[in-house]
Amino acid sequence: MPSWFESLFEFLFKYRPLLYDRGELSLGVSWPVVVAGVAGVAIAVPTLLRYRAIQGKASARDRLVLTGLRVAILLLVVFCLFRPSLVLSTVVPQRSFVGILLDDSRSMQIADVGGKARGAFIQETFGPEGSALAEALSEKFMLRFFRFSDSADRLSDPGSLGFAGPSTHLARALERSVSELSNVPLAGIVLVSDGADNSTDAISDTLLDLQARKVPVHTVGLGRERFTRDIEVSRVEAPRTVLEGSSLVVDVTLSQRGFDGETVRLDVEDDGRIVNSRDVTLTGEAEATTVRVHFTVPSPGARVFRFKVAVAEGEMVTQNNSREQLIEVEDRREKILYFEGEPRFELKFIRRAVTEDENLQLVCLQRTAEGKFLRLDVDDAEELASGFPKTREELFRYRGIVLGSIEASYFTHDQLRMIADFVSQRGGGLLVLGGRLSFSEGGYAGTPVEEVLPVVLEAVDISPETEEVSAPGFFASLVVEPTPFGTTHPVTQFGSDLESSAERFKTLPPLSTLNDVRSVKPGATTLLEGSGDGISDQPILVFQRYGRGKAIALTVNDSWQWQMHHDIPLEDLTHELFWRRLLRWLVSYVPDQVAVTTDKSRYAPGESVVLTAEVDDDRFLKVNNAQVQATVRAPSGDVVERPMEWTVDKDGEYRAGFLPGEKGIFEVAVQAEREGALLGTATSYMEIEDLDDEYFQAEMRAPLLSRIANETGGGFYRPETVSRLPEDMSYTEGGATVRERRDLWDMPALFLLMVGLVSAEWSYRKYRGLA
Amino acid sequence: MQRKTHNLAYRRVAFAALTLGLAAPAGIPVRQILAAPKDRVLAKAAPPAPQSPILSLPDAFGPGQEDDFIPQPSAGPRQFYFTRAAYTGYYRFRDFRSWSVDFPKADRQFLMGLRRLTNLDAYELENPVRLTDPEIGKYPFLYTVEVGYMALTEGEVEGLGRYLHAGGFLVVDDFWGTMEWENFQAQFQRILPGYPIVDIPLTHPIFNCFYDVKEIVQVPNVGQGMQGGPTWESDGYYPEVKGIFDEQGRLMVVINWNTDLGDAWEWAENPYYPLRFSTYAYQMGVNFIIYAMSH
Repeated sequence: MPSWFESLFEFLFKYRPLLYDRGELSLGVSWPVVVAGVAGVAIAVPTLLRYRAIQGKASARDRLVLTGLRVAILLLVVFCLFRPSLVLSTVVPQRSFVGILLDDSRSMQIADVGGKARGAFIQETFGPEGSALAEALSEKFMLRFFRFSDSADRLSDPGSLGFAGPSTHLARALERSVSELSNVPLAGIVLVSDGADNSTDAISDTLLDLQARKVPVHTVGLGRERFTRDIEVSRVEAPRTVLEGSSLVVDVTLSQRGFDGETVRLDVEDDGRIVNSRDVTLTGEAEATTVRVHFTVPSPGARVFRFKVAVAEGEMVTQNNSREQLIEVEDRREKILYFEGEPRFELKFIRRAVTEDENLQLVCLQRTAEGKFLRLDVDDAEELASGFPKTREELFRYRGIVLGSIEASYFTHDQLRMIADFVSQRGGGLLVLGGRLSFSEGGYAGTPVEEVLPVVLEAVDISPETEEVSAPGFFASLVVEPTPFGTTHPVTQFGSDLESSAERFKTLPPLSTLNDVRSVKPGATTLLEGSGDGISDQPILVFQRYGRGKAIALTVNDSWQWQMHHDIPLEDLTHELFWRRLLRWLVSYVPDQVAVTTDKSRYAPGESVVLTAEVDDDRFLKVNNAQVQATVRAPSGDVVERPMEWTVDKDGEYRAGFLPGEKGIFEVAVQAEREGALLGTATSYMEIEDLDDEYFQAEMRAPLLSRIANETGGGFYRPETVSRLPEDMSYTEGGATVRERRDLWDMPALFLLMVGLVSAEWSYRKYRGLA
Repeated sequence: MQRKTHNLAYRRVAFAALTLGLAAPAGIPVRQILAAPKDRVLAKAAPPAPQSPILSLPDAFGPGQEDDFIPQPSAGPRQFYFTRAAYTGYYRFRDFRSWSVDFPKADRQFLMGLRRLTNLDAYELENPVRLTDPEIGKYPFLYTVEVGYMALTEGEVEGLGRYLHAGGFLVVDDFWGTMEWENFQAQFQRILPGYPIVDIPLTHPIFNCFYDVKEIVQVPNVGQGMQGGPTWESDGYYPEVKGIFDEQGRLMVVINWNTDLGDAWEWAENPYYPLRFSTYAYQMGVNFIIYAMSH
């Protein structure tokens, strides 16, 4: 409320609006007043009747007006006689306690208020020299101080705060202080903070609890609500694990104040070495700017990447210009099963494209004649010895399946079901290539695989004699182009930016398709489409998530033309790159039998870590009776073993916790066994490091602090208005209180109203000439 | 019955009169042939223009034989075309057309066998393509014969070299003796300079990717085969299968020296031509193709 309004209100109505808010209006009726009222009525009524009998030169309207005015005056007097009053509970001085919560986190070091740190207010107010506020508070209440950052503790000397807390948890601080003061009369809590809460818990539960206990929280907000000049790397979205040699795609979000339209440079550093740089133009303040950076990861292991923007001049907070992210680079060989139904050059050139990729093992099962197969890149002589896997255990050993030109009638119904479950249940990736015997032309309409595919299969006629599709062969030669989404997707981006990527595709030779695929399913995304031969926008590369895994369709049947065509120079690597990326994408995020995760990848020292493991058997069904052991290796080499227990409420999930004792990168290895047989192992990494979370989104959060105050019945103050805090605090229901009755009959407003009515009556009479 | 005689003296004279650096001949656009297969089969190819030596489709059929081997070609683009490299040869041997020895009967009969023995979607008819044709990249499998009489132009050297480096596979067949070998070697030094020609061991996948071939058989030409006499020609007494590998160890060119697989395909239906030669020739041919389409 603007202060002039408050002053006017106070002048007219004798007390501040806050008191009317806290108190109740009542009338103090007592028997002398009642007697006076009756007597008044006894006099007034005959007088009125007498007046009515007398005719004068006044008109009826005049009489009405004058009578009305005089009655109003009379009523006002009677009202005042009835003793209107404001009933307030005020606290008994020195009988109640007040908890003062002082924010001890790092964000209080930010010097954004006239060059002084936010914490300076705390030190000036509650420090050893004392202040008016502190004195006023201690006159009325017994003060108990707490310091809080991620946890809350009692504080004996408020001047000794170091402002070094790594994060801020307001809910925890409130709960802790209230529970500590639960056995004394608590008048309220004063929360002195910038409100930069880092916790992810909702604060609503805590506020409800405080409401129920009738403890008002008064919040004092420190710091600026909006910085004038600041650049912040707000968010980095990167995968937690990536395959060695892959190109990482990371989305970095920058937000800024006061740098509208300026261009800054975003650097990506790996161990001090810059691996990528991008120039980013910062847009309007309401939006954050997101930029996508690509870079390749050189060698395996857990690596910490830093995304930073150089500090510009005049920035109020410099610690939020860089963010670190821990990314595990795995060096594993992903096994993909490629089943080709007839000899095709596509198989040859795909093999050639990925043969040098050490992280992909493309196991090929090529049908060369009826019942005759050629196996390539198998691990041993028994693998796939009886053709396409017939059991789930055998099939689920692979992480991706590529189906070439193979007709659906080759598979038994159970095998088709298995392929669908491979995607939905095992979480693997399925890639279906176009060909003479693929999609509807291969008779997949109506099979379980059709549900998985991201494209719609038109129904086709199957001739009963040959059991083959009897439709005439479809053929189209298409020029391939990326869709707008495809220009940004890592698999189909060939160039440093969107325009050059789309241009590159225009120079590639057209490919042919033998499958009449016209539409994609609603949840699917198209990356490439083709036009030519009277067809426009035929989907070429489409994918969708299905169950735990993903399904991709590539409807062309001769992508090898991008290698062999005379327009493509020998050094050109488009074909190799495309296939490597496509196959790596196919097996990305495919789960293993045993997986271990932590809720974050970076923790502050002293924070306890919760390890969660998910265990499946070789059919990828959850296992609840496995023996799971976690081995944690610290950077110094210490090894700690922890058994993991089944969390009963979720199938296949096991949990253990531990407290890291040092800083650095920790390795967690989890091994799961059942009845002596090994189910699998998994490794994960986490980093224990001083986090700079406090400096991010460090503006003073007035809405949050106001909400805390309003919902609990307290008030929100800033350093400028905090002088009213002690008085406001004394009008509260909590703590040891007395009820005060304050008279309102001598309100200037009532007096002014009386004067107004009398002069109105007199001036009306004068105006009408009635004397 | 024809007996191909390769008289040593005759060949010496032929080489003495050799003219190198033949101009690139204008020819019949062979792609037109593919466009209308049925018509092309029944009609004879147009005669070449008189002024420059050109490549033309020879009369491979004997009298009365042109209607015999005409399978019905199915429509639409196919996964595999048995492509024969049409190159420039020495004048003396068949008027520069040494590439067309056994053409097209060998191609067609081999394709009949290939289509029956495997489930490959192969085009049933022959597909000759010039080495200088930019569309050669559409056919990653290439077959060529009589390389002892190869006299490639610069354009053909570049075209074939580029084709092999990009990922194409070449099968060389039907050349005998030291002199033809030396011509072959000289030509391939121009195409793939610095790439050695080495023996292919019997353990290599090309010998067992479809059929298990346990020994290399010398396949004679039709005349010697039917007569039952010695199978060798010139001084090519022992058959050998050699190859040229690329830097990654992948086979680019497979060379059948001192053997004539093409004749075995061409005369497989002849009752006098021994079955074991045709069997071996078909086995090797199928293996080459399966290998070429998977490695």
